[in-house]
Amino acid sequence: MTVLVQDAGPLTTVQDLGRMGQLRVGLPRSGPMDRDAFVIANRLVGNDDDSAGLECTLMGPRLEFADARWVAVTGADVPVTLDGAAQPAWTAFPVSAGGVLKIGAARSGVRSYLAISGGIDTPPVLGSRSTYLRGALGGIDGRALRKGDPLPLGRSIGAPAARRVRAERIPTYGDEPSIDAILGPQDDRFSAAGIAALFDEPYEMLPQSDRMGARFKGARIEHTRGHDIISDGIALGAIQVIGEGQPIVLLVDRQTAGGYTKIGTVCSYEIGRVGQLKPGQRLRFRQVTVAAAHATLAARRAALETAIA
Amino acid sequence: MIYPEPRFLPCGDLAVSVEVADEISLEANARVLALEYLIRERRVPGITETLPTYRALLVYYEPAEIGFDALTGALRGLAAEARPEVLPPARHVELPCCYGGELGFELEAAAAKLGLAPEEVTRLHAGADYHVYFVGFTPGLPYMTGMPERLNIPRLVNPRTRTPAGSVSIGGIQCCIYSVESPGGFWVLGRTPARLYDPAAAEPSLLRAGDTVRFRPIGRPEFDAIAADVAAGRWRPRISS
Repeated sequence: MTVLVQDAGPLTTVQDLGRMGQLRVGLPRSGPMDRDAFVIANRLVGNDDDSAGLECTLMGPRLEFADARWVAVTGADVPVTLDGAAQPAWTAFPVSAGGVLKIGAARSGVRSYLAISGGIDTPPVLGSRSTYLRGALGGIDGRALRKGDPLPLGRSIGAPAARRVRAERIPTYGDEPSIDAILGPQDDRFSAAGIAALFDEPYEMLPQSDRMGARFKGARIEHTRGHDIISDGIALGAIQVIGEGQPIVLLVDRQTAGGYTKIGTVCSYEIGRVGQLKPGQRLRFRQVTVAAAHATLAARRAALETAIA
Repeated sequence: MIYPEPRFLPCGDLAVSVEVADEISLEANARVLALEYLIRERRVPGITETLPTYRALLVYYEPAEIGFDALTGALRGLAAEARPEVLPPARHVELPCCYGGELGFELEAAAAKLGLAPEEVTRLHAGADYHVYFVGFTPGLPYMTGMPERLNIPRLVNPRTRTPAGSVSIGGIQCCIYSVESPGGFWVLGRTPARLYDPAAAEPSLLRAGDTVRFRPIGRPEFDAIAADVAAGRWRPRISS
């Protein structure tokens, strides 16, 4: 009941939906960057939404299965092969005992997700199997997968009922997305011109981006009274702007508190799309109200329920 | 100043920051912790998680269960009641600390910068009570003040890239204990053998917001003995309330 890691890929981690209730001790929630893609992968193979799977970054792993399972790959557009034969993404398919699954390099998007029926059964830490690299906990000893790791699996659960995502619901990641964001908490520390820049100009993602935060460059976002504040809590998606007036979007593995101004916050339902941006790709921030964001969130959740045919 | 009414600052579609003051003070922090305490006691529906800091409480909520206006209405009511007296008594935590030498590798430089003898820095530092405002940045790291004024010191000009876990350090008016190995811009005066962050423990952070901390100076042999007990899971700090 294990999967052997023949080749790990550059950064492949075990994730479930994350670790709740530990912000106050300094632990972020972690979990998948692209939550919807992750949940869909789990549903395709008949798992609970919170079952642990793999998040692959740019390049996926090569895995040898000890017993028969159903698997599904979602997220970034990656080539998937089973014993050398091409397999569809966003679709569940069976792997026989001894089968070798390979996930290749992302053609668009960054993070792909592998769900395995029965889930990955590494020991939960503080209620979650999610890997938090900076805190060295969760997953396999708090680190990314390595060649030779055995991945324990949960009990096999048989064939899934619905196995395919509707074609029109498969996202594409190559364009310049418009990302909903809400002003605050420290928008009063920025000039009108600074706020206008954030919402009118495109921002290009920099290579120094990871699960902690995505760094961007673009039009300067001007402060009125400096960039230091009394340290406060950092919400998921906070758009932190420091000295040079460039934005950093803080993500699932962010520090829980910090002392820099946050002009706005990317909406929760957009975090996955930010996580699929490649360095050099651009986005635009679109200002929305809290009420509008709640309506969009409800619509996105409803859409997720009908994604699988 | 403590605001007459708290400010509600949206932090995206799932969180709001309740800011009670524009200052770092025991009073402001006590109100934040009292608000968090009341939210937990009254079990406000739709609130999923809270994160206290110096003068603000970050409140996560589920918009399908509670809308923004209903949430801020409920929080405004609780904030009016959130006085320091509602909190249970603070815990007092005694942490052993080995000052100077190899473990407190910046004690002498800090003393020179402050124009004090190293023994005097140790005496002053260990003679004070420190208030834990909140825990965070890295897991288990306490944000503390309470230092005697004579120990106020500018942060290092060139931050270290690695500071060992357990390093007891000072910078500005703050005292900090590095909970995991991390970069740092504070002066390291000593090291505690206590483990501030233990992901395997039921409560992974040794310290909690609202705690009072006092350091007990120890020598290297006692440090090594306690460190061995900590590694074997046989040691707990002295905690009273």
